[in-house]
Amino acid sequence: MRIFQKTNFNFIKHRKIAYGFSIILLVAGMVSLATRGLNYGIDFRGGSEVVIRFEKNADVGQIRSVLDAAGVSGTLKQYGMDRSFLFSTVFQGDTGELKSLVSNALNERIKGNRHEIVRIDAVGPSIASDLKWSAIKALLASLLAILLYVGIRFEIKFATTGVIAIFHDILTVLGLFSILGGLFPFMPLEMDQSIIAAFLTIAGYSITDTVVVYDRIRERIRGQKPSDYERIFNESMNQTLSRTIITSGTVLLSVFVLFIFAGPAIRGFAFAVFSGILIGTYSSIFVAAPLVYDWLHLTKSSVRLRGSKAA
Amino acid sequence: MSSMKNKRFNLLLIVVVTLVSLWSLWPTWRDYSLTRQIDSFGSSQDSLKYALSHREEIEDARKKSLKLGLDLRGGMHLVMEVDQVDLFEQKAWNKDAKFTAIMQMVRANAAKSDERIIDLLLAEFRRENIRLSRYFYDIRNSDQEIVSKLEKESVDALGRAKEIIRNRIDQYGVAEPVITTQGSRKIIIELPGVSDESRVRNLLKGTAKLEFRLLREPEVMVRTLDRINSWLAQNSAPPQEGRATDSTSASTAVPLPTSLSATEPVAPAGKPTTANPLYDVVGISQNGTAYTAERSREYVLSLLRRSDIQALLPMDTELLLAAKPEVGKTGEKLYSIYLVKKGPELTGGVITEAKATFGSEGVQPEVMMSMNTEGTSKWARITGANIGKRIAIVLDGAVYSAPVVQSKIPNGNSVINGIESLEEAKDLEIVLKAGALPAPVRITEERSVGPSLGADYIRAGIQSLGWAFFAVSVFMLVYYKKAGIAADIALVLNILIVLSVLAGFNASLSLPGIAGIVLTIGMAVDANVLIYERIREELAEGKGVLTAVTQGYDRAFSSILDSHVTTLSAAFLLYTYGIGPIQGFAVTLMIGTSASLFTAIVVTREIFHLLLAKNLMSEKSFG
Repeated sequence: MRIFQKTNFNFIKHRKIAYGFSIILLVAGMVSLATRGLNYGIDFRGGSEVVIRFEKNADVGQIRSVLDAAGVSGTLKQYGMDRSFLFSTVFQGDTGELKSLVSNALNERIKGNRHEIVRIDAVGPSIASDLKWSAIKALLASLLAILLYVGIRFEIKFATTGVIAIFHDILTVLGLFSILGGLFPFMPLEMDQSIIAAFLTIAGYSITDTVVVYDRIRERIRGQKPSDYERIFNESMNQTLSRTIITSGTVLLSVFVLFIFAGPAIRGFAFAVFSGILIGTYSSIFVAAPLVYDWLHLTKSSVRLRGSKAA
Repeated sequence: MSSMKNKRFNLLLIVVVTLVSLWSLWPTWRDYSLTRQIDSFGSSQDSLKYALSHREEIEDARKKSLKLGLDLRGGMHLVMEVDQVDLFEQKAWNKDAKFTAIMQMVRANAAKSDERIIDLLLAEFRRENIRLSRYFYDIRNSDQEIVSKLEKESVDALGRAKEIIRNRIDQYGVAEPVITTQGSRKIIIELPGVSDESRVRNLLKGTAKLEFRLLREPEVMVRTLDRINSWLAQNSAPPQEGRATDSTSASTAVPLPTSLSATEPVAPAGKPTTANPLYDVVGISQNGTAYTAERSREYVLSLLRRSDIQALLPMDTELLLAAKPEVGKTGEKLYSIYLVKKGPELTGGVITEAKATFGSEGVQPEVMMSMNTEGTSKWARITGANIGKRIAIVLDGAVYSAPVVQSKIPNGNSVINGIESLEEAKDLEIVLKAGALPAPVRITEERSVGPSLGADYIRAGIQSLGWAFFAVSVFMLVYYKKAGIAADIALVLNILIVLSVLAGFNASLSLPGIAGIVLTIGMAVDANVLIYERIREELAEGKGVLTAVTQGYDRAFSSILDSHVTTLSAAFLLYTYGIGPIQGFAVTLMIGTSASLFTAIVVTREIFHLLLAKNLMSEKSFG
């Protein structure tokens, strides 16, 4: 079976359209980040969270008023599981106290519908800022590592544009998180540790797709005149199109399964990886390689590549 | 010739890897089937009998089987932080007012910043233009030397704290606790299957600093309280009072027992608005003992922490509250107040044995302690010299009891009473045996998952694994036909390898770990897709199957290597900088990616070679 028979798209000629599309995506994300901001989970802002599950269906408003009456201040939301609610409040050093307060209030006021506290998380402010820092460090270090590796394997123009493509992908996903955050009750899209894991996965995967395209360009560009570059870029991208799309497709398939089945704790992560890979695939074809072409074109330089295998 | 050898080596390698994986996962399978066997009996008696007769086998299988993470089996994850400011304070040999002021600044800064405490300390001393040697170690030491000594001290303290916490947990009895340190002040504790969270929390968070302190005479205390009362009356400016209380409580060493501000007002009726502000919240009985009611306890504690109040106390004394309330005549819970000497006569370091029992009347639980030889002789001297006086037994700054010394105690025995339940006495026994922590610790992160949610997570994880495998393998079959079979076999082996490595290295599988495996399922076939697409291209150029396969593998290799290295390095960095659950994800992703280099390149290639040799492959085999 084949999804793509021999294709012959002129990617390089229409690259400006793609640039425009990317810029719109990025600007929309930035505007939302500046105005709406992000929804931080307790990993990064500190606080306590309690997941309460009821035996029968329960009404959010009723539970909220019961907890209010008991003097437990915080916010209550539907949690992405059946009959479950997420109650979040400021950081409590002693979660036992919080647990008994919530439990007693609910036992007393909501009779005939037993509840169970299935999860309690409490993250102190110092830990939260530690987590934030290590997340930023991990991201920067991975971008640097990728820049170095691709720089050594190819050359610096390829490496730089590859990293630009990663930035493009991560910023777009970040923008999506800001735009869609809190819109859907089954998917609150909070920024937490797992989203950082998603970003690193996206970074690793985005460059994977990009490298596949680069690799083909490298294989074919050797010894060619700069005037032939446009043709070679286009041909390379067409030749790798089907593999780029199928490799992404299998990963998208499995991440989609995660999104559906793995429950609310993983849903934000799965959403981030899914959209990241979708955008990463797009950017490796429409952003990374065309940028290399533009760079070569503008500096009128030819490619000196390292480490390619003789074809 | 060499390629023949190579081929044989590859085949052998595949067989060995498969066997080792299966062998490593065998105990997991045994554990699972034995558990099912036990559950299958009709009566619990039969189950027990079976379990007893197969005990060794069951224990062995369980020990070597793949462990489930805290989130899947339920349990507690705690991060505790050692109070380094307190530790450094202890290390100073000269604690004058200036020093106390500086340390308060350090403490306030530490709460706001991420910098290391030692750097904050040094910065504060530099700002004041005071050399560290004025307070720490030898006067001839340079700041740099002292900093490195203090750093070493904090590493040691962290190690000791970890051991003591491990002792406490071991004594309490938790199966397979994992206790690690991180950085210079964090201890990470993982306790699977813990059901009584609050008891564990209480067991862990106390410093267990035991002190025997002499009580001052009742008259002295009453005079002191009078002084505080009149001072408060003079300086009563109600609105300011509240603010002063807040600011001190925020910057003092002892963390306020957290309470939900809305449910329990911190300062009750006792705001100094009357002529006797202190005596509104503190009562004195005829025999000269002072007490405060439970509702004013927080307020009194906050008063006692104020430096202006502390300045009113007699030299070298301290006011402490009782650990437990007594029930007064009106049924109200009352906490006694004690004026004790600041320096302890004896500390818990001399305790060698502790035992929770019931007291002489057989109803009040208590903890009997015995001391080492040095402690015994000191204790004999102290008790001998203070007959008729009271000695307070103080644990973590709260007075448990203050018995009157009846006679000299020569055998090094002492008793803590005033304990509410036997369970609490048992916990005291544990912490006393394990010894005192070198500095106070506090819980900065806690995550606990109940067993029912864990079961849900397991179900969700297995479903995701199953569906992802199904979807990807069916896709490969449909898209690549016969070649898809090879990719699917490689995929099965890949999952086997990931699980067996986890089991073999005693790592545990968590929900993020399962997510890592699911992601690996999608990514592992990537290498095959790259190879197959290349082979299709080669075939399209009219090459024979054998050449196409060989060249397909060779030419796709560089892309595969590059993509695996980048994914691996991202996963590795995630592992390095990530904590807890994220590491679980990173680990499985790393194992899966490395394994897929092997399964996708070596395994599928060998399968093709076998098929080619038997003429079972043609151009059509690649779909």
